[in-house]
Amino acid sequence: MNKIELKNLLFLARIHAEEKEYPEITKKLTNTFNLIDEMNNLDLKDLEPLNNPLELKNVSRTDKERNRNQKDKFLDQSPESDDDHFMVPKIIE
Amino acid sequence: MNFKEQRENFRNKKISAKEAVQEALSKVENDKLNIFISNLRDSAEKRAEEIDSNFEKYKDKPLSGVPIAHKDIFCTENIQTTCGSKMLSNFVPPYSSTVTKNCDEAGSVMIAKTNMDEFAMGSSNETSFFGPVGNPWNDSLVPGGSSGGSAACVAANITSISTGTDTGGSIRQPAALCGITGMKPTYGLVSRWGMIAFCSSMDQAGPFARDAFGCAALLDAMASYDAKDSTCSKREVVNFENALAKDFGTLNIGIIKNIEELGINNDVLEAYEHSKSVLQQLGHTIKEIDFSELSSGICSYYVIAPAECSSNLSRFDGVKYGYRSDQNNISELYMKTRSEGFGDEVKKRILIGTHVLSAGFYDAYYLKAQQVRRMMKNKFEDIFKDVDLIFMPTTLDQAFEKNRKDSDPNRMYKEDLLTIPANLAGLPAISFPNGFKNNLPIGGQFVGNYFKEDLLLNTANKIQEVTDWHKMTP
Repeated sequence: MNKIELKNLLFLARIHAEEKEYPEITKKLTNTFNLIDEMNNLDLKDLEPLNNPLELKNVSRTDKERNRNQKDKFLDQSPESDDDHFMVPKIIE
Repeated sequence: MNFKEQRENFRNKKISAKEAVQEALSKVENDKLNIFISNLRDSAEKRAEEIDSNFEKYKDKPLSGVPIAHKDIFCTENIQTTCGSKMLSNFVPPYSSTVTKNCDEAGSVMIAKTNMDEFAMGSSNETSFFGPVGNPWNDSLVPGGSSGGSAACVAANITSISTGTDTGGSIRQPAALCGITGMKPTYGLVSRWGMIAFCSSMDQAGPFARDAFGCAALLDAMASYDAKDSTCSKREVVNFENALAKDFGTLNIGIIKNIEELGINNDVLEAYEHSKSVLQQLGHTIKEIDFSELSSGICSYYVIAPAECSSNLSRFDGVKYGYRSDQNNISELYMKTRSEGFGDEVKKRILIGTHVLSAGFYDAYYLKAQQVRRMMKNKFEDIFKDVDLIFMPTTLDQAFEKNRKDSDPNRMYKEDLLTIPANLAGLPAISFPNGFKNNLPIGGQFVGNYFKEDLLLNTANKIQEVTDWHKMTP
């Protein structure tokens, strides 16, 4: 993984790192991918991918009235909020 | 004191819930191993008084009057829940997980929340923002992870039961390294509602106790159908405590051909050999099985788990809850919040997950890892046509030193080599103490077919009736 690829990956994951940290991060990622790449030695022909161990069925809840307005409870958790909104720095210049 | 005695003492009014709680809390307050993240003295004493004054209501519940510690991954209403991370060090959930609610209703008293690897990512409890946990047998060694605090809590006799979660071995590995019993149930048996997500298709909560009896009673409390978790099983849950007395007859128990070639330490192998003879003495038949695919689980796991983790942890952005790094624009706020709020191991796994899910790499990694997962599930299904249970060591080694420096950079990941396959396939597995060397415990595990927790607990219990490894204390 070169410097530009790592920079793109860090941005995609929304993680900041200083350029001086890049060699160490690259080394750690390469080590893990060396382990992962052992998959390439396996014969996986005709195997259907499995994303969950159990057969999943769609589940719907009963159509019952519930109090879902817990706005204050959740806004209270926010680092910054007003009466109705989560507050963040300016998005549009 | 083990769980059974503790519960009997409450039921026979030899000790009140409040006395049991006060005794446990004083041990929490004298803890030198960094086992706990929060101590809940006020709420615990209040709850114990409530249980004592409603004795008739609680006396027959599965966990009546028994103090419990919960892994700090379970949301607890109005009680700090950190998941071992700076990111959630200020998080006070507005609701409780189904697991902790079920344990409350079953008559237990939550006295503390336990330390853990950050977001359950680790095998040594060293990635916690709140510092490493010491192993009660030797505090310079690790207790295992990620549920290291919960395992150490029971091993150190602070509580007789505790909860954990197991995504790749995070209950069974620390149980083995601390010399206690721990179980990962079938995926879907226990609700994941309110359990902070790491890898949703593998995460499963389970019990720790000194013995299979305590695990059975705690699992009776934890397991329930929950409409709030769409992957929760609707099967009728059996009573696991009652299943301990059931006669399942003699079993065919599978052992894996050439397992010693996987790099298992000689002391662990010796204990494994001895346990095989105990199983034969109990009348079971040992059958050798071919499972050469076993070691391939690890490469699949280190694609799927980081992939799901990168998706699950995208919610931590500094806006709605948790840690925030104040910045002048939203992009910097996201990036600095996440780089300052997460530790190195978590960031590494997010990066791996982001990479394997990104355009151009999906087929080479994620899809292939899911095919390996299918291969693993198919293999287990074949094996369970011939045997009732599989028996193998839980770990490659006994407890190891903190800050271990390995020549193999992937050594820590390989700690979970023997536990990961059950998670990939979603199968239940139980680890129990099966030996002792160098003044340190060793663990062995059974893996069973889907929803065979009753058989796993029963078989482990039968072994514990004729061995004493589970009775040893630090």
